[in-house]
Amino acid sequence: MLTFIIIGIIQGAVIGLLALGIVLTYKGAKVFNFAQAEFGTIAAFFLVLFTQVISLPYLVGWIVALAATGAVGFLFERVVVRPLFNAPRVTLLVATAGFALLAIALELRIGGTTTQQVPPIAEGVLVRIGTFNVTIQQGITLAIFAVLAVGLNYFFAKTDLGLAVLATSQEPVATELVGIGTKRMSAFIWSFAAVLGGVAGMLQAPDTIFEPGFMTRNFLLLAFTAAVIGGITSLQGAFVGGLLIGVFRQIMNYLDVTYLEEAPILHGIPGIPELAVFVLLVVVLYVRPKGLLGTEA
Amino acid sequence: MAIDLAHARNLMPLLDEGKPDARGWMTRRAAAGLIAAFVIITPILPGNLPIASWVGLGMIYVIVGLSVNVLIGHAGQVSLGHQAFVGVGAFMGALSTTRWGLPFLLSVVVAAASGAIAAILLGVVALRLSGLYLALITLAYGEIAEKVIFNVPAITGGGAGVLVNRPAGFESNVAIAYLCMIFVGLALFLDWRLMKSKAGRAILALRDNEIAARSVGINTTYYKLFAFVLSGALAGIAGALLAPWARSVNAATFDFKLALTFVLMTAVGGLQSRAGIFVASAFFAIFPLAFNQFTIYVLIIGPLLLLLTLIQFPGGMGQQLRPFTNWLTGGPFSMKREHAGISSGGSGGRP
Amino acid sequence: MAVLSVRDLSIRFGGLQALADVNMDVNEWEIVGLIGPNGAGKTTFFNCVMGVYTPTTGSVSYRETPITEMPTHERASLGIGRTFQNIGLVKSVSVMENMLVGQHLKARYSPLAGLFGLPSSFREEKVLKANALEILHFMGLLPYRDERVSSLPYGIQKLTEIAVVLSGDPDMLLLDEPTSGMRPEEAHQFGDLLLKLRSELNLTVLMIEHHVPLVVRVCDHVYCLNFGKLLAAGTPDEIRNHPEVVAAYLGTEE
Repeated sequence: MLTFIIIGIIQGAVIGLLALGIVLTYKGAKVFNFAQAEFGTIAAFFLVLFTQVISLPYLVGWIVALAATGAVGFLFERVVVRPLFNAPRVTLLVATAGFALLAIALELRIGGTTTQQVPPIAEGVLVRIGTFNVTIQQGITLAIFAVLAVGLNYFFAKTDLGLAVLATSQEPVATELVGIGTKRMSAFIWSFAAVLGGVAGMLQAPDTIFEPGFMTRNFLLLAFTAAVIGGITSLQGAFVGGLLIGVFRQIMNYLDVTYLEEAPILHGIPGIPELAVFVLLVVVLYVRPKGLLGTEA
Repeated sequence: MAIDLAHARNLMPLLDEGKPDARGWMTRRAAAGLIAAFVIITPILPGNLPIASWVGLGMIYVIVGLSVNVLIGHAGQVSLGHQAFVGVGAFMGALSTTRWGLPFLLSVVVAAASGAIAAILLGVVALRLSGLYLALITLAYGEIAEKVIFNVPAITGGGAGVLVNRPAGFESNVAIAYLCMIFVGLALFLDWRLMKSKAGRAILALRDNEIAARSVGINTTYYKLFAFVLSGALAGIAGALLAPWARSVNAATFDFKLALTFVLMTAVGGLQSRAGIFVASAFFAIFPLAFNQFTIYVLIIGPLLLLLTLIQFPGGMGQQLRPFTNWLTGGPFSMKREHAGISSGGSGGRP
Repeated sequence: MAVLSVRDLSIRFGGLQALADVNMDVNEWEIVGLIGPNGAGKTTFFNCVMGVYTPTTGSVSYRETPITEMPTHERASLGIGRTFQNIGLVKSVSVMENMLVGQHLKARYSPLAGLFGLPSSFREEKVLKANALEILHFMGLLPYRDERVSSLPYGIQKLTEIAVVLSGDPDMLLLDEPTSGMRPEEAHQFGDLLLKLRSELNLTVLMIEHHVPLVVRVCDHVYCLNFGKLLAAGTPDEIRNHPEVVAAYLGTEE
């Protein structure tokens, strides 16, 4: 059981990073960014491109891939988000989903259907807890997550830029009047969200079957559930929600593996953890749509 | 308030004002006949290409497009998990014929009912949630269908999926193509009659302004669910046709990519435009088959067209075809109807 | 008999008391005006009467039948027709289509009969269309019947909304600022229309209005709301000279 919880925390970190991007884009554009997870796949593809095809050193490739992903986010904001500024939010949502599909298609085209293998930042085991080996990669993931949790908290609460971002999302007209460029804020938000997605994707890639769309396939709904549970308007909520969902899912996994093998009807059903998360999402939306720390539904 | 029936009878001819004369109708009917003839002829065109097989899938996609349109176009809802309904129809249809030995037509009924049930479950949620949150739930619903329900061993008998025999007498691709065409005719008929009757108008009204709709006596709860049921039934029928067309049904088909494809072909086709949806759906089905090595390019072109439609041309293909379709139905050759885009009714704009 | 009876109606939204202990009676064939400054709660009142909102306390009765618990669409079936400030029409379709929407309750065929194109639906649709033409003729709107509502001038849209409401054969009309955006001459014509509707169609009317000359000319009774409370009730002359009413408006008359 402990193993499952540890895995849950590690996955929770990845989910939390994605959830953070979701909260950010929601605050910035009042939309659900269905491409958030796909930014992760895109970054991982860039990583493979820069480190294996162009043969840059791994860490350099990492940074360049991140920058490239940020650029993709920036482009997306320019080409899609901005023109749809006054469109119904569901229209923009469908556009983000369309973009995710486009990205997956391009990945298929460029990468082919053979699965890639992305090496981690550093091989090896960091520490052994119980029967589980926590790899260095996983440790780095947790570390980055923790640093971002603290750092972003400080950034949005104390720095001028961070406060400007929040102000823009809450009161676009007023902030425009005060002199903060909402257009630049919007570009920043989407680029940064793409970077967050990229970090999540590149940290996760070594641990997953790396195929086109893998981040969307495995994490999009988890990330959204985490964002909703944490509170769609709460940045801290995204971190909390991420960890919660990560652990919850692994606990469900544990219960499934341990008990349901023998259960009469349920034992045949695959994807119990996914089902549990879905039920949780529905319940939260029915009972407390603004989540734990959010301020609006 | 009593209607002065004699006076009313005097007014009825006004309904025919501006309509074409006998010759005008003849030309239009001839044009419509030519188009229908062209479509009907395609499966039996000579040559090496498996056109009949392509047409079969094209027709199936048209039914799905009409199904999605009932929800997104007419009712102003969101559906990012529509592949779930088609999948339910496909699996239930397959099981009906393969495992329970039902005749094909009965399997279609079973599939339609199953699709309707799957849809109404979502419909109940849609009564409570809307907009972004509903979109999220539909996406989640679709994913659960793909990852959980369609993988239950009792249903699928293992990962390989369910093998399906074609109905007796319909083994050839040509026969399947015509079978699908018949059902497309049925679907088009239902959509046409729907929008000309009180149910369709009620659904449209609740899309634009739910409170006003209630104020004229429309039970919006009933009609919202009605839209889901009809949409689900049509999707189920499409699934029941997909099973014999593909000769097998497996879970992997019904993924996020398919859900998006369905949405985008309806949006690109133009919400509420049967002609546009027909063309777009057939295109998105046939193009990947016809240009196999360019399948990837369709996955690329598709979203690009979607983005273009959402940003620039909310009316989609339907809007471009409008002069022609207006003429065909007895109007002038002009852009009469401006088109609504996705979720243009109700609470949609930026707060 | 009072057609509409409202007792002790109160509604609270969070910290805001939008309506407090409002009482009202609208009698048969009366034209009653509901006036008050913006934000006084007039549309909220309509929403409570029609069941869009559920009041915190109080009751609403229609011809002695309590309707406080009834859903909106059922209240409509009792014979109440209502218009909206921002025009409750399906703007993306034609006037004629809207007239058919307005007659939803008169189409007795089942939804499935309509879906499958059964003969009963065809027959009834014809009657609905005939009825629609009749009303459009009555309102002078026949030339616009095939125009998309969103393409029509604002004043025509407002008249169309009334036509649509009339098509449902209501006994009582709740009109929410029917003359907003109208020039004084148009508002005067509208007054004529109202009187005609009342006498030829035996209608009872409750009307939210800002147009004082219209209210004075046409209404039998006037209620004035301010901050959710009933400030005064009486004949138009009594109301227009009522000191509190004048004060509430701060002397601004349109």
